[in-house]
Amino acid sequence: MSKSEKKIVLKSLDNEAFEVEKAVALQSQTIWVMCEDKCVGNEIPLENVTGQILAKVIDYCKKHAVVDGDGDESSEELKNWDTEFTKNMDQSTLFNMILAANYLNIKSLLNLTCQAVADKTKTIDEFHTFLNIENNFTPEEEAQICQENLWAFDD
Amino acid sequence: MEMMKIGDSPSESSDACLLLSLPEDSFAVISRFLSPSDICNLSLCCKSLSDLVDSEKIWFVQCEVVKALPLSEIFQWRTGISSYKSLCRFLVEVVNPLVGIWVHQNPELGNVVYVMPGFLSVVGCRIIPQEVGPLGIQEGRVMWSPVFEIISGLDGGSTAFFLHGIDRESSCLYPGFVTSIDKCCNVLLLEVEPRRDKRLCGEVENGEVRFPFCKLPFAERRKLLYMVTGRVGLNVPEVSSGMIFPHKAMSLERRAMLLKMHKFGGNWNHMSLEDELCYDPIQVDINELWTNLGYGEMDDENEIQDTQRKSLSKYFRSSIKRILRRSSSSSSKQHTCSSSSSSSSSEIRRSNLQTFLSSGDSVGLSVKATQTKLSSYRGWPNMHETRFALYKLPSKDPVESQEYAGLWGGTFGWPPGKFTEDKPGKALFLLMLTYEEESRDDSERLLIGTKILEGTHYVMHPNGSAMFVVKIGSPSSEIFPFDDTNGEEFEHCYTGEGIAKGYGFRYPGYKPGSLFVTSKGLLVFVWKETKVVLTLQRLDLEELLKKGVCVSPLPPCLNFTYLTKSHTNVFASGRRTS
Repeated sequence: MSKSEKKIVLKSLDNEAFEVEKAVALQSQTIWVMCEDKCVGNEIPLENVTGQILAKVIDYCKKHAVVDGDGDESSEELKNWDTEFTKNMDQSTLFNMILAANYLNIKSLLNLTCQAVADKTKTIDEFHTFLNIENNFTPEEEAQICQENLWAFDD
Repeated sequence: MEMMKIGDSPSESSDACLLLSLPEDSFAVISRFLSPSDICNLSLCCKSLSDLVDSEKIWFVQCEVVKALPLSEIFQWRTGISSYKSLCRFLVEVVNPLVGIWVHQNPELGNVVYVMPGFLSVVGCRIIPQEVGPLGIQEGRVMWSPVFEIISGLDGGSTAFFLHGIDRESSCLYPGFVTSIDKCCNVLLLEVEPRRDKRLCGEVENGEVRFPFCKLPFAERRKLLYMVTGRVGLNVPEVSSGMIFPHKAMSLERRAMLLKMHKFGGNWNHMSLEDELCYDPIQVDINELWTNLGYGEMDDENEIQDTQRKSLSKYFRSSIKRILRRSSSSSSKQHTCSSSSSSSSSEIRRSNLQTFLSSGDSVGLSVKATQTKLSSYRGWPNMHETRFALYKLPSKDPVESQEYAGLWGGTFGWPPGKFTEDKPGKALFLLMLTYEEESRDDSERLLIGTKILEGTHYVMHPNGSAMFVVKIGSPSSEIFPFDDTNGEEFEHCYTGEGIAKGYGFRYPGYKPGSLFVTSKGLLVFVWKETKVVLTLQRLDLEELLKKGVCVSPLPPCLNFTYLTKSHTNVFASGRRTS
């Protein structure tokens, strides 16, 4: 197999090109299907992901790819890397990563980013700040919903 | 089709829309990391978010998240309840807190009630002290009898309680109410609860101080329970395993029958669930109860006919209040006298009972699951001798550091499962294994095998005593003492002590012994001196009970809690009915 066949070029919406190892890119089920179909050459256009987000997705895939002789990263280390990876993302990046992971169909990345959002929803006040949402319930409506949902909370 | 541009978000101000703009599937993935209370909190954020999270899809995910049922059962249960949210509520409020192993001290052979999911219900099944036949435990058919069921209504908020029992020769169901279930409950109480018909009195008396059932003297509590069960029982066909755990097609039908029984009592067969209720058949009128209790003073309204039930109960309530007022004013007059001299203890009893009953106009059977601080010794809780209660054994799933924790079952004798012609059965033993830290030193950790069921004819050791205690933190290199290994490979050994005859029945002694762990996952305890062997295996109680043999229960109150001390098998007299 020649060297060029092991590499693949991903092209973002804003025409940024990323050359990556095939093993890295194929973690995306979407790209895997595109390659299987042979409907594309070595260059895969990803028409709805920006270069900024795609770069982050590729970072993630590189870390998680099992490339020849490079697969001895301990799971503990990988976990810590994942935590750091999402820790300092601002909310719009995080949501865009979810959309990208969903579109590219990378299950582990989708889980990781979704968990990061979930962790931020754990307290309602933080979530208001996180999402910048105005509460538009009347106090009566709010009281009624609270009453109906009482069962879900610990005694 | 216009594609969404990922990463091309217009501005920071539309953050809220970001969450709303996620594809539904992605939101479902996020919700997998949330709990029901998180979902409820989210729905309080704003109206559009509330629409997003309060959906069938999201609540379906939550039904999985709460880990009460396998996926296939979730689908099946949904066919009998209004929504996944309602289903989730029943799983969170009823199924998860109650499922587990419940016990009582009496009789000493063991009183083990395993509460497990039925169909839109939880079912309490008592495992009868019994012998294991030649097929072994897992392949044989375990004998059990039904204790109670709690069934979900068509929405998740309403529940129906049924106590099982027999009245003379026939099987009965005794409908009642679920008063409350604490999420961390460890005591399940059978009580009588005064209830007020909401349709009769508009006023809701908030802050009303109720006299709690548990504070009544034992004799009165027992009398009330016997009287109420004596009145509300409904005959049902002989119970069988297939009836309590029916096949798919039958399960909706049986639940509808039970809901009708709960609503209409003895008339259920002629009614449909949508029918209006004219009076509550599963409660006993307090006035009637009062008379039956042998108190005559309020009988001066005997001429009031039963048809005037409503006014009667109103009258009764007011008359109780009048009496209470009278007694309170008289006691205030005699303020200087000590209470013991001003009123005899029987008067106090009577007044307590009146206070208890006056908070309703009828009484019904009720079940209540509470959390109480229980002291325990070697994994066995200390129990009240006079409460109609069951106690939950704290059960830990086996984790890495506590891999042997949980329920085990087995028999004496080596090799296991070998029978002679004159003795076709061997007593079944159920043990709960727990870990106890003696000190901070890991090598001092103890593994305790607490006996919770013994299938002998006459009990050998008290219920809840440790069959063995071994030092699980310090493995030993001891060799298995028999030449016949029965094809087992012995992987680990821990030394300790096993139960032996002691000072009378109540205080057993202990003799040295060793616990061997085999590669096939058996635990084998061998007493060093006598070479007696107890072999244990993991049990799947749910599976065992579903294919087991259902036998008749005891009369209702005894069937819930057997309070009399007994050394023999009080449950096994039941005729086989499956």
